[in-house]
Amino acid sequence: MKKTVWVLVLMLAINCFSQNKQILYNFTSVPQSLLTNPGADFKYNFYFGIPLLSGISANVGSSGFSAYDLFADNGVDFNVKLRNVVFSTTRKDRLAINEQIEVFNGGFKISGEQSNSYISFGMYQEFDAMSYVPTDLAILALDGNRDYLGKVFNLGDLNVKAEMLSVFHLGFHKNINKNFILGVRGKIYSSIYNVSSTNNSGYIYTNPSSTGVYEQMIYSQLQLNTSGIAKYDDENYEPNVVKDITKRAFLGGNLGLGFDAGFTYYPKKNVQLTASMIDVGFIKHNKEVESLTYKGTYEYKGVIPKFSSGESVENGFQDFKDAIPLDTLYAAYTTWRPAKFNSSVQFSFDEERPEECNCLDYNPETIYKSAIDAQLFVMTTPRTPLVAFTTFYRRKIFKSLQMKATYTLDSYSYNNIGLGLSSTFGPVNFYVLADNLLEYRDITKANSLSFQLGLNVIFKNRKK
Amino acid sequence: MKFRAFNRFLGILLSFFLFSCASDLDFNQVNDVKIEPVIVTNLAYFDVLANQFVTNGAEQNVIFDAPTVDVFNGSFFRQRLKKVEIFFEMENTINRGYSVDLVFLDRNNQPVHAINLAIPPYSGKVNKVTKTEVFENTQLDVLKRTTRIAFTMTMLPGAALSESSTGSLKLRSGVTAYLVVE
Repeated sequence: MKKTVWVLVLMLAINCFSQNKQILYNFTSVPQSLLTNPGADFKYNFYFGIPLLSGISANVGSSGFSAYDLFADNGVDFNVKLRNVVFSTTRKDRLAINEQIEVFNGGFKISGEQSNSYISFGMYQEFDAMSYVPTDLAILALDGNRDYLGKVFNLGDLNVKAEMLSVFHLGFHKNINKNFILGVRGKIYSSIYNVSSTNNSGYIYTNPSSTGVYEQMIYSQLQLNTSGIAKYDDENYEPNVVKDITKRAFLGGNLGLGFDAGFTYYPKKNVQLTASMIDVGFIKHNKEVESLTYKGTYEYKGVIPKFSSGESVENGFQDFKDAIPLDTLYAAYTTWRPAKFNSSVQFSFDEERPEECNCLDYNPETIYKSAIDAQLFVMTTPRTPLVAFTTFYRRKIFKSLQMKATYTLDSYSYNNIGLGLSSTFGPVNFYVLADNLLEYRDITKANSLSFQLGLNVIFKNRKK
Repeated sequence: MKFRAFNRFLGILLSFFLFSCASDLDFNQVNDVKIEPVIVTNLAYFDVLANQFVTNGAEQNVIFDAPTVDVFNGSFFRQRLKKVEIFFEMENTINRGYSVDLVFLDRNNQPVHAINLAIPPYSGKVNKVTKTEVFENTQLDVLKRTTRIAFTMTMLPGAALSESSTGSLKLRSGVTAYLVVE
């Protein structure tokens, strides 16, 4: 049982950012699209999200293997499956999880006859975790080094981070002119806890030798930074997790600053260009900080008695522990948020000509019933940036129902088909977006899944 | 009109979930984890020159040292060691025979295991002896109690050595540790 918990914690802790919200991006009938581009062409008099229900999203990705590969109840020995996963993945393979829940969210148009300026604001809670597959360390743990003489095991394969935080944001967007909308959003991050070990390096190797039996070198530059969890290690501390999380979520945690910026531009009436930068920001961790390090170099020779010519080693194992000690540090550190870049180009067609005037529900955006589009998403990670390319087709099915179908290429899969539906009945907007629909044939074999859903109340411009 | 739209919307949603399915997963399999790494590392090494056996013109017949070897004492290894092989190789290029005793001592300096390696004088040909000892079950418990190894080298009778004698006596020893982690 204990092991199950450990592995589940590990699975949670070693999962990665794949926060590509390709269906939500530029899906401007949903207010939450403003969070992926503060300069999105979204017009309203005012709107608010139903607290805790306005934006729920979760995203799980694993580029190298699926839950089925490891946990299938198919009679194959778990150890065989574990070996297959370790030997079929590489250090480039990632595990990722991202979860967001909006606590509150709202916006209004700045009043004034000619005003084209909008304010939006809100708070959301977010959990991010990522890990690369620590291939070399896993091989060393599974097989040991006997059959790998000459192989250099890379300690830099260990690359993990996990963070829970809350984000307070205030955004502003303005129609600079008829064709151009510019938006910015400021963010305050309040980190509830953070664990990161992303700048590791070092190696272990064992070669046959003519002096000792082996030439065995260990060079280690391992560091694990944590904030917000050190005190749970203390046996005398009686944890009150709910109180701690609440306090830290509401600006009592380690604080950081960031911004989003974006624009929408119409070079022609039916051609739209957009771009945005999201989460350009950092968090300074200086409260409840604890870091663990294993740093040093040692050549392990075993013992060499004093009478040997040359150097002697009277206690090799102790020397080794002294050369690469486990140190605990309490120094502040800074983490950067994973910055995300989105851009799109969209062509609209199939102009809508309403037969009857619906003055109450007039929607000035959907002049065209259909649109096709290409999107590019880039996100910073501790190693190579994650890149995804999406094409989509958007269609207004009924007055009250919009659909967006997407096809995305990224490092997780080449057959990611997504679908978003946004319905507006009166002022009530409900949306549900999910990708990797083909994987739903058997979700346990999926390499990545994401969904978002939410409930908002939107009051649009009323024109006479 | 609005209701029809809503129904269709629900219909699309429902059909989407109806077509999804999931294979059986069993997360308790984690309890079956059993990994068996095999680790190799050095145990000991020395290289004694012929002239070290001569002090001020007089032969020194016995050389001794007892360094600390507490690798097998670490709690991680203690609990998970299943088998250990210790490999010894001695090479003698001195014109004199030697007997080398390795006595494994526990924390009270009591001998728990002894190994003897004898090697003849060098005669111009490759002069090596090797030995592999396997520690399993009760023998393994003995090894786990070891905290020091006493090395005693005794020169066997033969041609006299001087401070200008050449050659050396080398020993290298490696460990192969079979672990079971479950």
